[in-house]
Amino acid sequence: MHVLIINGSPRVKKFSNTDKIIARFAEGFCENGNTVDVFEVSDRKQWDDIRAAFAVNKDIIIALPLYVECIPGLLLEFLETVDPKNDGTKLSFILQSGFAEGAQLRCGEAYLEKLAGYLGCEYGGTLVKGDNFSIRLTESEDQDRQTVPYRQMGVVFAGKGSFDDEECRKFTGPEEFPLMVRLLIGFVFRTLAKKNFTKASQAWGCDKPLDYRPYGQEN
Amino acid sequence: MILIVNTTTDTSITAEIRELNKDVEIIEAGAMKISNCIGCNYCWLKTPGVCSIHDDYEQILKKIIVADQLWVISDTALGFIDHKGKNIFDRIMPVVTMNLKFKGKQMRHIMRYDKRTDVGIIYTGDADREYLERWNSRAALNFDSNSLGVFPVSEIKEAVSCMY
Ligand SMILES: Cc1cc2nc3c(=O)[nH]c(=O)nc-3n(C[C@H](O)[C@H](O)[C@H](O)COP(=O)(O)O)c2cc1C
Repeated sequence: MHVLIINGSPRVKKFSNTDKIIARFAEGFCENGNTVDVFEVSDRKQWDDIRAAFAVNKDIIIALPLYVECIPGLLLEFLETVDPKNDGTKLSFILQSGFAEGAQLRCGEAYLEKLAGYLGCEYGGTLVKGDNFSIRLTESEDQDRQTVPYRQMGVVFAGKGSFDDEECRKFTGPEEFPLMVRLLIGFVFRTLAKKNFTKASQAWGCDKPLDYRPYGQEN
Repeated sequence: MILIVNTTTDTSITAEIRELNKDVEIIEAGAMKISNCIGCNYCWLKTPGVCSIHDDYEQILKKIIVADQLWVISDTALGFIDHKGKNIFDRIMPVVTMNLKFKGKQMRHIMRYDKRTDVGIIYTGDADREYLERWNSRAALNFDSNSLGVFPVSEIKEAVSCMY
């Protein structure tokens, strides 16, 4: 099986969380001689090639970050230029996001199912998972902890040809956290996470607090 | 303040709104240079509150943070607002901070400013209105505000009746 994978993130490949996820997914998917081609929408120079690949491939995955509850503006701009297919192509999605709960991604997922139809494709389901914001801020084992689980999803997709599968549905994790867990995570947000984000910010050369108001404190 | 950002090039829509309600601030963004968000995260981590892209969106952002209502007028594509409309939303990210909390049962960003800006959409052409309503309500949650609703241009009077 050959699959075209389009990275729909506007972020350059080097820093894209979706890119690291695709790499792991492809490891699993290619285990038994399957092959992938991967393109990045963030690189406008590839758009002609992506359109050409979209036209000829019959198995396509668009992997994307959730952007304000739906697809990123840049991916939308690209898709506005794509010719709808109507040739039995199966279009599946890997939707990933910052917030951790499955419920955060459902509005975006609902759009992707419609989008497959607008593009004249059969819908192959969406692999839904959040809690991926910090992939770009981590390295080696810390990054692996977030990305390696996607390898098994590549294996499952190779077997099924879609994400319409119980294991893929379970991969999302909890829809929402129970109260005790929310209190615990809330505590981590106010302490450890805040400290880590401040540290990351300083490492990026920032000398302002994270809640700085550049256009005036009164606002 | 009621802010209207028209991302279409059809200024008859804003002219009609102006006729019905003098008390609105209109930005004609249809011909403006407004990039998509590139996800650099600078507005959260490197230059908090400031977008790294210095284009025509900057003046819009400065208005949003003092607006009670933001109305985006957008053309449609693929059942949704088109990319020019969506970019207005993606680029709002500087109004939230990197700090997180739970609001109700779900995680949210802590807002950077005190002002809460409700959001509405006026669209031209064909869209899945039911989905747009759902999406706009979710989008508003991210800015700790409320949806003002989603209206096709044919219902512009209904939209204007919410502008107070
Ligand atoms: C403009 C913008 C909007 C975002 N909107 C959401 C959102 O609504 N919900 C969410 O959980 N994460 C949201 N995120 C976080 C991204 O989905 C997340 O960081 C993702 O892992 C980025 O992947 P990438 O590096 O491949 O672009 C947003 C990020 C940006 C830059």
